[in-house]
Amino acid sequence: MIDSILLVDDEDLFHLVFEDSCSLLDITLSLQSLTSSDEADRLFKKWFNEGPEEEKPECVFVDLNIIGSSFDGIELIRKINTEYGNGVVIGIISSSDDKQEIEKAKKVGAQFWIIKSDEIEPRLEAFRKDYEGFKNKTAAFKLYK
Amino acid sequence: MISFSKDTCNDLIALYKTKKISLEGNILKVIKGGDSEFTKYIEEAKQRDNETRRKRLDITKQVQQQNKELIDSQAEREKLMTELQAALLESEKLRDAAVEDLETLQKRTQFELVGLIVKVALGIIGTVAFLTSILYFYVISKGLDAKIIESTWSNLFGILLTNSFSIIGTIMGVKYASGEKR
Repeated sequence: MIDSILLVDDEDLFHLVFEDSCSLLDITLSLQSLTSSDEADRLFKKWFNEGPEEEKPECVFVDLNIIGSSFDGIELIRKINTEYGNGVVIGIISSSDDKQEIEKAKKVGAQFWIIKSDEIEPRLEAFRKDYEGFKNKTAAFKLYK
Repeated sequence: MISFSKDTCNDLIALYKTKKISLEGNILKVIKGGDSEFTKYIEEAKQRDNETRRKRLDITKQVQQQNKELIDSQAEREKLMTELQAALLESEKLRDAAVEDLETLQKRTQFELVGLIVKVALGIIGTVAFLTSILYFYVISKGLDAKIIESTWSNLFGILLTNSFSIIGTIMGVKYASGEKR
């Protein structure tokens, strides 16, 4: 089971879907949801500069297009991986399957890309099975669709 | 994992039995089961929690779907509205063109009528002038009294010249005015 997850997504309804799906699938014990990449950026900056390290989530799911934010999910992943010390399993959760965006995400260090749809549970289930590989950095980038 | 004292376990079980109130959420996943009765309580509480979450998940998905359909229909409506406005603009342009065509047609009809009147008037004047001239030359050639016909002929040519210039002036004026409008 993943210790803690951070979800960054502008859609409040998806927060509920994600939370209930994670709970039903026993994916995590602790889930924090944010609606903007700026807020996530502030938190990671704080955790990196001041700590405590324990508050930092183990895994981060980021939406691609976050309405109302200064930058998109790919830029947030780049910042977390290059400016705030990395150290988390991180990837995109989006309804888009744009190949160019997927390539961009891979380049900035995203480890997975989950396509959002009505049936999110089977993809989360598959992700859970691969999670150890992502955590140990032994698994290659994977697209869940 | 956390564990509760025997009394707390009993209180929780009693609360569930009497009021149907049980623990819910992720805390259930970190509680260590005690005796068989409390283990059963935890299992039931987990089951109830899962049922509630499943229901909520289904409803949330439905709401999500309805929202998506609403957004799609709104986009479709906006698209239709844009097309409707474009069609309205086009029909207004066509109406203006039709009105302009009608005005041109009316003007052309008026010009044709004026042209016809001018032609008939010039024809009458010309014919009268021609006949009077023949009569005048006939009278002169025969050596008859030509005083009356002489004055008639000169009056007639005076009128003919005056009217011709008047008609030419009118036609030029009308042509100039219509040319300005176009």
